[in-house]
Amino acid sequence: MNPKPYLLLIVAMLCCAVMRVYAQPVPLKGRVTDQNGSPVPGATVKILHTGKGTTVAANGDFEISHEGNAVLEITAIGYDPVQVNVAAGQTTVAITLRESKKELNEVVVTALGVKREKRALTYSTQEVKGAALVEAKEPNIVNALSGKVAGVQITSSSGTPGSSSRIVIRGATSFYGENQALIIVDGVPVNNDETGNLNSGPGTNRLADIDPAIIENISVLKGAAATALYGSAGARGVIMITTKSGSAAAKKPAVTFSQDVSFETPWLPETQDKYAQGEYNYDTKQYEYFDGDIKKTSSSFGPLMDTLMINGQKAKKYNPAKDFFKTGVTSNSTVSVNGGNGLSDYFLSYSYLKQTGTTPKTDYDRHALFAKYNTKILKNLNSTFQLNYSSSLNDRLPEGYILEAPIWTVLTAPVSWNPLPYLNPDGTQRVFRYSRNNPYWVLDNIYNKARVNRFIPVVTLNYSPLGWLTITERMGADIYSEQDKYRESRGSAANPTGRIIEQNINFRQFNHDFIVNATKDVGNFNLNLLLGNNVLSTYTQTEYAKGTGLSIDGFDNIGQASSISYNETHYQNRKVGFYAQANVDYKRTFILSLTGRYDGSSVLSQEKSFYPYGSVAGSFVFSELLSPAVTDVMNFGKIRLSYATVGNDNVRPYQLNTPYQLPQGGGDVPGVAGIIFTNYSFPFQGQTGYLLSQTLGNPSLKNERLNEFEIGLETNFFHNRLGLEASYFARKTNDGIIPGVPIAPSTGYSGTTVNAARMQNRGIEILLNARPVQSKDFSWDLTFNFSRIRNKVLYIYNGQSQIGNGFTSIIVGQPYGVIVGSLFKRTAGGQLLIDDAGLPFSDSTGVIGDINPDWIAGISNTFRYKHFSLSFLFDMKKGGDIQNNVDGYGYFYGTPKVTEDRADRVVPGINVSDNKPNTTVVNGQDYWRRLSGVTESVIQDGTYVKLRTISLGYDFGRSLFPNTFVKSASLIVTGRNLWIYSPHFTGGDPEVSSFGASSGSQGIYSFSTPTSRSVNFTLKVSF
Amino acid sequence: MNKVLYIIAIAGCLLAGGCKKFIDVNQDPNRPSSVQEALILAPAELVVTQSMYAGNAAVIVQEYLQTIALNQPVPNAGTYYMVPSDMDGDWTILYATCLNNVVRLDSVAQQNNHPNYAAIAKILQALCWGQGTDLWGDIPFSGALAGADNFTPEYDKQEDIYKGMQQLLDDAIAAIDQQSTVVPGDDDYLYKGDMTKWKKLAYTLKARYYMHLTNAPGYDAATQAGLALAALDKGMEADDDDLKFPYQGIAGQENIWYQTFLPGSTLILASGFIDSLKARNDPRLTYMVKPAEETGLYTGRQIGSAPGSLEAYSRPSDFYQGAGAYNYVVNYEEALFLKAEATLIKSGYAAAEPIYRQAIQAHMTKLNVSGSAVSAYMAARGTLTAANALQRIMEEKATADFLSVENFNDWRRTGFPVLKKVLNGLSEVPRRLLYPQVEVISNPQPQQSARLTDRVWWDQ
Repeated sequence: MNPKPYLLLIVAMLCCAVMRVYAQPVPLKGRVTDQNGSPVPGATVKILHTGKGTTVAANGDFEISHEGNAVLEITAIGYDPVQVNVAAGQTTVAITLRESKKELNEVVVTALGVKREKRALTYSTQEVKGAALVEAKEPNIVNALSGKVAGVQITSSSGTPGSSSRIVIRGATSFYGENQALIIVDGVPVNNDETGNLNSGPGTNRLADIDPAIIENISVLKGAAATALYGSAGARGVIMITTKSGSAAAKKPAVTFSQDVSFETPWLPETQDKYAQGEYNYDTKQYEYFDGDIKKTSSSFGPLMDTLMINGQKAKKYNPAKDFFKTGVTSNSTVSVNGGNGLSDYFLSYSYLKQTGTTPKTDYDRHALFAKYNTKILKNLNSTFQLNYSSSLNDRLPEGYILEAPIWTVLTAPVSWNPLPYLNPDGTQRVFRYSRNNPYWVLDNIYNKARVNRFIPVVTLNYSPLGWLTITERMGADIYSEQDKYRESRGSAANPTGRIIEQNINFRQFNHDFIVNATKDVGNFNLNLLLGNNVLSTYTQTEYAKGTGLSIDGFDNIGQASSISYNETHYQNRKVGFYAQANVDYKRTFILSLTGRYDGSSVLSQEKSFYPYGSVAGSFVFSELLSPAVTDVMNFGKIRLSYATVGNDNVRPYQLNTPYQLPQGGGDVPGVAGIIFTNYSFPFQGQTGYLLSQTLGNPSLKNERLNEFEIGLETNFFHNRLGLEASYFARKTNDGIIPGVPIAPSTGYSGTTVNAARMQNRGIEILLNARPVQSKDFSWDLTFNFSRIRNKVLYIYNGQSQIGNGFTSIIVGQPYGVIVGSLFKRTAGGQLLIDDAGLPFSDSTGVIGDINPDWIAGISNTFRYKHFSLSFLFDMKKGGDIQNNVDGYGYFYGTPKVTEDRADRVVPGINVSDNKPNTTVVNGQDYWRRLSGVTESVIQDGTYVKLRTISLGYDFGRSLFPNTFVKSASLIVTGRNLWIYSPHFTGGDPEVSSFGASSGSQGIYSFSTPTSRSVNFTLKVSF
Repeated sequence: MNKVLYIIAIAGCLLAGGCKKFIDVNQDPNRPSSVQEALILAPAELVVTQSMYAGNAAVIVQEYLQTIALNQPVPNAGTYYMVPSDMDGDWTILYATCLNNVVRLDSVAQQNNHPNYAAIAKILQALCWGQGTDLWGDIPFSGALAGADNFTPEYDKQEDIYKGMQQLLDDAIAAIDQQSTVVPGDDDYLYKGDMTKWKKLAYTLKARYYMHLTNAPGYDAATQAGLALAALDKGMEADDDDLKFPYQGIAGQENIWYQTFLPGSTLILASGFIDSLKARNDPRLTYMVKPAEETGLYTGRQIGSAPGSLEAYSRPSDFYQGAGAYNYVVNYEEALFLKAEATLIKSGYAAAEPIYRQAIQAHMTKLNVSGSAVSAYMAARGTLTAANALQRIMEEKATADFLSVENFNDWRRTGFPVLKKVLNGLSEVPRRLLYPQVEVISNPQPQQSARLTDRVWWDQ
């Protein structure tokens, strides 16, 4: 490499020069512990008025020399400072520190797991306690963060158990690359890919493998200044998860058992149940009944159910959705034990989650085992070994508007048709219409299974040879294997010969960090220097076999298929990084922080594989300079300012060359609309074959760059009873990597990978904490968070002003993720133009929606009265458009509630031929069907207010089982999503993304399993 | 203390030295960087015949010809609604999926001195350029397919592309005449390495492309007809010579037209085609068309009308649409009808008559229509006259060339079979396709302002 290793040396030497150790011959040995007797490593010991000082070692011991009577001042992050008198000649001292109750001394976990005082930070972070995550009763950690953190947008996908959720911090930064936050568990990055679905619909985001119950807290690092040390991937924001540890103080094991049971019912879109299956008969001018067996149609434009007679009997009315969905049941059992003996401690946890979905035959099982063991190998060498193991099994069904998906024919089934039995006497499927499956047939004949076994071991060694110096070596891995299987029986509408897909994924990632951390007080300065090295290696292997032409019913082995295609892929990427950080704190008033990192990435051009970046940030704690009269009201005030530039390699491996590839599954033209089915894969008829990749390699690919400016204010009032934090940020992606950006096909290639994208995000985040009432028996806590982010695409590539991205588009001058579709033709004044048939029409496409919310906010309230606690969280989103695809199809079928209005009508508007007001009468069927063809008609504002959780708890303490070994017990009842207010959205739950968590899947509500409202009961007992 | 940090720093340097090597892992283990001819030929034949000659653009053209209809609300392709981005995929197929590969096949074959592979590659190139220029007129030709060396290839004149196509076919014939012993085997789905058939195809294509220029400015119909007749003398001689892709019909290997008419596409047959067969009492109706599932009737959908029940409309018969049916690209009947038309131009309707009858007979035989039905039909159709000869020849050619893009070229050249603007049609019947959005953006050229109703150079 051609970096400057000298730099490191110079920095290292500088640091040594500054930190010479002072020593005098009269020794004092001391030990600093907390109230529990645990050592407080890193505490600072100063002899007042002498400038002498030292730092407490990992085992709590310190040594300092003194002359005559002296006053020691001991300070430590998170503890109240204490002063101790030492007599002349005294040689030993024991000091107990009390944990600080003051919020301004709050300690937060920052990049690389370094704990720092929140007051001294130069950037914005927000912490969520483990208890708050557990309270959310969400099996998926991402969902548990919903509504709690400013600047973070979380979008759930579908209501199928185990479905993914998307988490984006401070807006999208990449067009086609990853936009979701980097997830770090105890200093080690873990994979959060969405996997496990071999057909349409969401999969599982792999963070779901981690049990929320083992989490001590989550620290959300938002800006580039906060995450620069994490290197490239951190540019998207970091979710830092710290797991629970045992208690270091010598004590007996503490066992906690908790059992949750919850019941889920789906949020369904409203459908009409007044009209039977049928179609408008243009000859008789009547809505004609179709029975669904002899006369089939997709539509429910039939006669009124109330007066419909079938075979002389009044027609029976069915409720297709209510009959199909059932109450989901989730059970979660957790048992944990923790303890320690002063030198070592442990935490063990096991949980079993079993979730059965509201769609029959869907479920999610997760066994999660976590063990952490922390021990002192030597006096100044501390080690932690931890292992997280999980095993999950997910059963799901295809979702969305594909022929295999059962929900399509559930939500659009006629109310006059009995869906059972699902087979005709001849063994063929019985369906009310052509070209679809009976949803009950699907339950017995289509499945999608995903089984994941995952290990996350982490070893951390902390060596403190000197009081002010800590050397950390951390090795972690994330290893999982996944077995996926999809089966579709013969006779399916989409694949009449049936198919079986078998997929195995092997993922492994190794991470290594070596960190040297030095802290020293010099006069009024507190200096901290950190140097480190990171190595990250990631490998994924995928084996995929597809068999079509099944021959044995009820037998799931792929060997029976008449045609089998197989594909294997391997992806390997590696990164190395060197980093340094310097913090200078002057009189706890002025804080300057500098970081630098030099990264090398395997996926970039060899000439450009190494790239430097860094940040500069400062804080000014102005409350230190205010008079006591002012600080009595405003006890803390800080302004912070930062600028960071972060290099990023957000691209898959192997994008530099143009190889040949095996044409498979017609996937040779990905993402291009308008292609008629070209379903073929090689080998084909006994011949194998290769075609040139259509994506031209770019041998000079370099890193993209994210620049961010942030300014923030943090204030506390009335002795921390009220806290306000506000941040403004402006971030911009430059040279953004666009894999497969379209180029003129006449070059022989449909796309190439370039460094071109420019996109900006600007936003405001506000966080308000308040404790309006605090008394012995009663307290009220309130938290409010608000974020408003404005994204804008500034540049794509070489004259491109618009490129597609799944269900949305990327357009210069627009936010990332606008919906493009057909627009109603209108007059200059905005009135609908009406064609000669009397109907509105479209002859062009354009931007019809923006999926980005105007703002999002959350309010949480917690009331405690004696042993009762009541808390509730409201979550709000203003704006953010959704393409309601259920209505899009439903208008054609006449199934949504609004289509109940189907009387003949004159559509208000101007006739396109004569420019006069329209007077042509049309029937309801023609009207709704015309609307179904114009996407603009189903773009709905996704504004919502949600009662995300409401929870009532009672803490029995020892009262329930007095005089027994039971230490405490509590009972909690929690409601989730019990109430949703969404004035413009006609579907069930507007917070949905039917096709998963990827950037291209956003903004569409289709035929996926509805999300649920649920009631949860929890009993927790500690021994 | 300095020692510790020195060690760390030195260790860092040593590690850094190994870094470059450590991260040198970007060699693609999934995709090869070079392959031999047979591996390119097999998929190239599939994509040229299937993705291009029966792909999106080919289906849209069938909608213009009122052969296929989309069961969707208006406006749609059938009512002449098109935005440039609708064509993005088709150009990707033309240039990136097909041409880039057959041109590469040509160069690999030349490097390895395998003239038969080079010849096939050249014939397939001619088929690609022909499809491209017939549908879009001027397109990138001389500067195309250069990758990063030319991101904005200029658009060549259609006349020059036609010259290039004839040259490619001549070169192919010359390469076959080298009599190389290296011939493809099963990697050649189309002719199984029978180079004689490839040569007949080359001559038939020469004739097809000569005849396309009968109305071209500066070209003389009689001269073109003469050139075509000369080429046809060495062209296809029997059904066995058809350029058709065989499908095994098993799962994953279904005929492209079977896939095209699966319910998901909502494509079915249009009333224009079915009603014309009915109007002529053509016995081929039941051999070429399947009755509607819902009604048992032979019903085509009227393009532009409100969508109806998909299963109330007919789809093609299993001869064309069966999972194991052939996809016909150039057939022997086309060669016969080309000969009939060229003879009509050179020698008049009487001379064309026997060839015209031979062509109808050949198609009916292919469909297995009984002899009596054939003769009854021939009788009902009557003999050719000066007034009706061209119309009859082109109508019958269109029936025999069912689902072929060639019918669109023939209609533009001759006006037959007569087409009327469809219900709710947004314009007159289109005479070309739009240039794709992705070219308009990435490679702006003056020709791209063309509208659907504009004419290509030879369509004058």
